[in-house]
Amino acid sequence: MAPKSTVGNEKLLDDQAEVLQAVILADSFNKRFRPLTTRKPRCLLPICNAPLLDWTFESLALAGVQEIFVICRSHPEQIKAKIAESRWSKPGSGIKIVPILTAKETFSPGDAMRDIYTRGLVTGDFVLVMGDLVSNIRIDEVVKVHKERRKTNKDAIMTMVVKESGAIHRTRSKADSAVFVLDSETSECLHFESMMGYPPSTIASIPREILATHPDVEIRNDFIDCSIDICSVEVPSLFQDNFDYLDIRRDFVHGVLTSDLLMKNIYCYVAKEGYAARVQDTKSYESISKDILSRWTFPLVPDNNHPAGHLYEHIRGNKYIDKDGTVILARTSTVGNKCLIGSSTRVSDNAQIISSVVGRDCFIGAGAIIDNSYIFSGTRIGPGCVIERSIIGSNVDIKENTRIDRGSLVGDGVIIGPNAHLKAFGRLSKKRETKTTGDESDADEYADSEEEEVESAQDSITVDLGTASNAIVWPPNAPDEDEDSEDVENVKNQRFMRLGDSASDLAFSDPGSESSGEESESSDEDSDFDRHLDNLPTSSATSLSLDPNGSSTDAIAESEFRNEVRLSLERAFTEGHSVDNAAVELKTLRMASNVPLSRVRESVVSAIVEKIKIIDGGGVAQRQEIANVVSRWGPLINKIGGVDMVETITALQTHCASSERLPLFGQILAALYQDDIIEEDDIREWHQAATSQGLGLSPSVRTDNIKRCWEIGSHMIQQFNEQADDSDESEEEEGEGTEDEDEEGEEEGDNSVDEDDEEEDEEDEENE
Amino acid sequence: MASDPRSTANQRIVEDLVSRLRRRQLVGSRATALETLLVLRQVVSKARFSNIDQLVNVIRIVGRRLVEAQPKEHSVGNTVRKVLHHIREEYHTASERPTVQSSFSIAKFVLQGQPRKQTPIPRSETRVSLKENDPDDPDSFARVLKPVLMEAIQDVFDELETVYDNISKNAKDHIHSDEIILTLGMSRTVQSFLKSAAHYRNYTVIVAETAPSYGGREMAASLSSAGISTFLVPDSSIYALMSRVNKVILGAHAILANGGMFATSGSLLAATAARSYSTPVVVCAGQFKLTPLWNLYHEYGALDFGDPSAVLGFEEGDLVDKVDVVNPYYDYVRPELLDVFITNYGDHPPSSIYRLLKETYDDEDNEL
Repeated sequence: MAPKSTVGNEKLLDDQAEVLQAVILADSFNKRFRPLTTRKPRCLLPICNAPLLDWTFESLALAGVQEIFVICRSHPEQIKAKIAESRWSKPGSGIKIVPILTAKETFSPGDAMRDIYTRGLVTGDFVLVMGDLVSNIRIDEVVKVHKERRKTNKDAIMTMVVKESGAIHRTRSKADSAVFVLDSETSECLHFESMMGYPPSTIASIPREILATHPDVEIRNDFIDCSIDICSVEVPSLFQDNFDYLDIRRDFVHGVLTSDLLMKNIYCYVAKEGYAARVQDTKSYESISKDILSRWTFPLVPDNNHPAGHLYEHIRGNKYIDKDGTVILARTSTVGNKCLIGSSTRVSDNAQIISSVVGRDCFIGAGAIIDNSYIFSGTRIGPGCVIERSIIGSNVDIKENTRIDRGSLVGDGVIIGPNAHLKAFGRLSKKRETKTTGDESDADEYADSEEEEVESAQDSITVDLGTASNAIVWPPNAPDEDEDSEDVENVKNQRFMRLGDSASDLAFSDPGSESSGEESESSDEDSDFDRHLDNLPTSSATSLSLDPNGSSTDAIAESEFRNEVRLSLERAFTEGHSVDNAAVELKTLRMASNVPLSRVRESVVSAIVEKIKIIDGGGVAQRQEIANVVSRWGPLINKIGGVDMVETITALQTHCASSERLPLFGQILAALYQDDIIEEDDIREWHQAATSQGLGLSPSVRTDNIKRCWEIGSHMIQQFNEQADDSDESEEEEGEGTEDEDEEGEEEGDNSVDEDDEEEDEEDEENE
Repeated sequence: MASDPRSTANQRIVEDLVSRLRRRQLVGSRATALETLLVLRQVVSKARFSNIDQLVNVIRIVGRRLVEAQPKEHSVGNTVRKVLHHIREEYHTASERPTVQSSFSIAKFVLQGQPRKQTPIPRSETRVSLKENDPDDPDSFARVLKPVLMEAIQDVFDELETVYDNISKNAKDHIHSDEIILTLGMSRTVQSFLKSAAHYRNYTVIVAETAPSYGGREMAASLSSAGISTFLVPDSSIYALMSRVNKVILGAHAILANGGMFATSGSLLAATAARSYSTPVVVCAGQFKLTPLWNLYHEYGALDFGDPSAVLGFEEGDLVDKVDVVNPYYDYVRPELLDVFITNYGDHPPSSIYRLLKETYDDEDNEL
C-alpha cells in the first residue's frame, strides 16, 4: 500500500469540490470481545450476518459520504481484503474507501486522531465514527447544521450526535454512559461527565459558572452516545497539541469543555428520529441484534437493505429466512420470533431456535435448543445441544449433547464435546497450531501475548470439554488486572458490558463480596435478567450536587495552591504587571492544580486586602490608600474566569474576620462598590444569606467578627435605602432599640441596625 | 457485454437506483415507476443488440436487479413488464406480422362498450425478416428498431404522466351531489379524483387520520383548501360513522392478480366496516399498480413492515425490551371486500383484474 501518494491525489480532488469525508476508527482499542477477536478484528465480526464494518459503511452511505478513511490497527490485511471484495469497491457505489494502516503503537482513539493529523487526511469538516456503528440517522442533516453553525461561530469545533433513550434501555450502556449538560436553546454541550456502572456514581458536579451564564440548561442522563461526531479540521490538531488525550469523550470533550484557554465549543445534536448505536461490548451486541431484528433500524433491516447484500424473506413475527431457497427447516423444527437464518443452513427435526441469529452454512442437529444466541457462519451444532445467550464463532463444531450456558463466547474453529458442559461466561478459543513455517509466524504476529499467557495457564484449569476438543479455556477474569482501578475497563465495570450478565450483585454489594456473588450467580438461571438493574442508582438530575466545594480537593494541594497564588500576586504587585497578565497567570495556576474557582477568588481577595497598608489614625489617608489599591487591582477579582460578586463579598468578609484589617471592611466594601466591582444587588443578596450573618457557626472571636462585618453591611444597605427614599429615617431610630438583641444573633431577613462608634465613622465616609 | 463501456455506464445508473430503492430514499409507487422508466430508457438507448431476444434479455437483467433491490415496490417490476410488453408489440408491428394482438381487450370492451370478434392470440416468437442477426451489419436491427422502441417507452411515460387526469376524468359519474364519502391516507390518485368531482358536485368527505403515518391529515388539509367540505376523524370512529357514509374511496399500493390489493394500513378496517353496512368500496389506482402476484405470507398486514418507533417511542426503554411492535405499511384487502377498481383503463370489478393483467403484461414476464 502506498498511502502517501494516494493521499496526495485526494487532496487535489478535495480542492476542486467539497467532498464529505468520513473517518472510521476501525479498531476498538479494547478486548471486550476476546476470544472472538483474537484472529479477526472486531469490525469484521458479523451482526445479523453482515460484518459490522458493512453496517458502518451503509450508515455513512445513507448520509451521502463520498470518501471514507478506515483507520485499522489490528489485522489490517483482513480489513483491506474485506473492503476490496465488498460491494463498496465496485464501480457505481459512489464511495471511495481508503484503508489507512496505523502503527501498532496506536493504543487509543487519541493516538489514532494524532495519526490522522500527521498524515493530513482530512481537509474539511468530517464525520468521525467508530467501526462498529449501526445507524440510520441522517448524518448529512447534522453536517448541515454543523456547517451552518460554523459560519457564525468559528469556535464550534465539534457536534456530537446523541439519541434519546430513557435511563433504562437495553441499548444504552450502563458501563460507559455520561451526563450531558446542554444549553436548552442552542444545544451547546456545557459540561460532560462520564459515568460507569462500577464504581457506581451518584454525584455529578457541574461548575457553577455554567449555571450563572446560562439561564436555561438541561441535565441529561438518558442519551445513547452514538459516537458520531462531526468534527472540524481543528479537532485532530487539538489531539496533537494535547498528547495526553486518549479517549474522545472522557479526555477530549471533557478537556475542551473544562479548559479556560481553548475557548472552543462543542455542540450536541439530539436525534429525534432514526437509530444509532455502537456495538461496543457483548451486551450491546445482543441488544443491537435485537433492535435490528425488531426493525428499529428500518430501513436498515435484513429484508430490505441488508448491508452484506443478502436477501431475506420477512415472515410474520419478525423472522427472517434467506430467500434463495437453500434453507432447510425440518417439519418438526420450530423457529421462534425474532430469528434470522442464513442461506444453506439446515435445521433438523425437533430443533428449536428462539430469538437467535444463525449464520450461513450452519447445521443444527436434531433436538438442539438455541436460545438467544448468535451463531456465526459454518458452525455445526450437534443433536441435543443446548446453547443459551452465547456467541458462537464461525466454523465451530459443537458435538452432541453439549451444554453451553449463558454469556459464553466460543472463538472461531473450536471443537467441543461430546457431552461437555461449558459453565456460564466461559470463553474458549482454538489452540494455535504449532508454527512450522515462517509464513505462519507472520500471521500470528497479531495474536498477542495474552493468548500465549492463556495457553500456558491451561494446566491449572480443569474443565471437561470432551474428548475431541481442541479448545483452550480463558480464565474468568484477567488475573493481573487491578480490581479497583478507576478505568472503564476495570473488571467489575466490564461485567456491565458482558452478554447475559445482569450484574445485579454489583448494585449493592461492596467489593469484598464480589467473588461469592459470582459463584452463586452462575448457578441461578437467567430468571431475572436485567430487571435488577432498575435498582441501580441511575444518577439523575435529583442527585446532582451543585456545590463546587463538594468536590474534595486534597488539603495539601490546596494549601500549596494558596501559596502559589500568593507568590504570583506578590510578584504581580511588586513588578506592576497588568491586570490581564495577572489573570492569565492565575488561570493557568488554577488549571495546574485543579481547584474550584471560589478558592482562587478567596485567595485573590485576601491578597488584595493584605496589600492595603494600615495607616495609623485612619481617616483620609487610609481611605486614599484603599482607593488606590482597589482601583489598581480590584478588576482582577472579576477576571479570574468567572464573575460571582456575592462570593467576592463573602470572601472579603471571611478574610477580614480573621485579619487585623477588620476595621477596614466597610471601607473596602465601599471602594469595591465605587469601582463597580460589586453592585448594590449583590451586597443585598450577600446580606440576606445565612452564612454571611454568621449563623450556625460556633461562637468565637471570628464569628463575632463575621457578625460585625455583616452589621457594617447592614449599614450600607440602609444607606442604599436612604438614597432611594430620603424620608425613610424612622427606621434608624427604631433600630437603636433593638441593639442588644442584635448582639446575640440575627434572624434571617431582619434588617435592624446596630450602631457602633466605629461604624458611625464609616457611615460618614460612605456618605461622601 | 460487461466490459462494454456503455454497459458500465448503464450499470452505474442502475446501481444508483438500486441503492436509492434499498435505502428507501425513493418511495411511492408512481415515483418508483417513473424512475424505473427513466433507467430503462437509458438502458435501451445504450444497449447493443442484434435480435429481439438479446434486447429482452438486457431489460430483464436490469429489471431483475431492480426488483430484487426492493421487492416491496411492485410498480418497479410492473413497469419493467409493461416496457417488455410494449417492445414486443412494436417488434411484431415492425416485422410486419399481422397485428392480431389486441383484437379482444377487456379494457376496450369496457371503454367502448362493444365486443369485437374473438381470435386466439398467437404468441410464438418467430424470427422473421427485419434484417435480424445480420452478420454484415449487426447493428442494423437496433438502428431500425430503436426509434420505435423509444417511442414505445415514451408512450408508457406519457401514460404515467397523465394517469391522475385519466382516472379522475369520470369522477363525476361516481360521486353524486350531497353524498358523504369516506377516505383515508394520503393518495394522490384519490386526491385528484375527489377534487375533479368537486367541479361538478357538492359533496362531503370524511377523512380518517390513518395512524401512524397520519397521511389523512395532509389529505384533509388539501381537500379542504380545494373548497370541499371535509371532516377529519380519528380511525377509531370509522365504524361508527359508516352508517352515514354513501361510498368509501380508497387508494391502492398494488392491485394483485386475484383482485385484492395492498393499501395503506387502515384500509382493511374501513373496507370491513363498509362491508357490514353494505357500503360500496371504490378503489382508485393507476394501471401501473396492476401486479401479477398473489398475497402469500401475511394474512392481514402486507409484507412491508416499517420502523416501530412511529408506534412506540424508542425512548420508552423499558418497554422496548419487553414488547414486540409491528408497524405494517400496508393492509392486504381481500377482493370480496372491494366493489370496483377505477383505473385509467376504465372501471373493473375485482373479478376481472386477472384479464386486465393478461392484456397488460406478457405471460412469460410474470417471473422476471
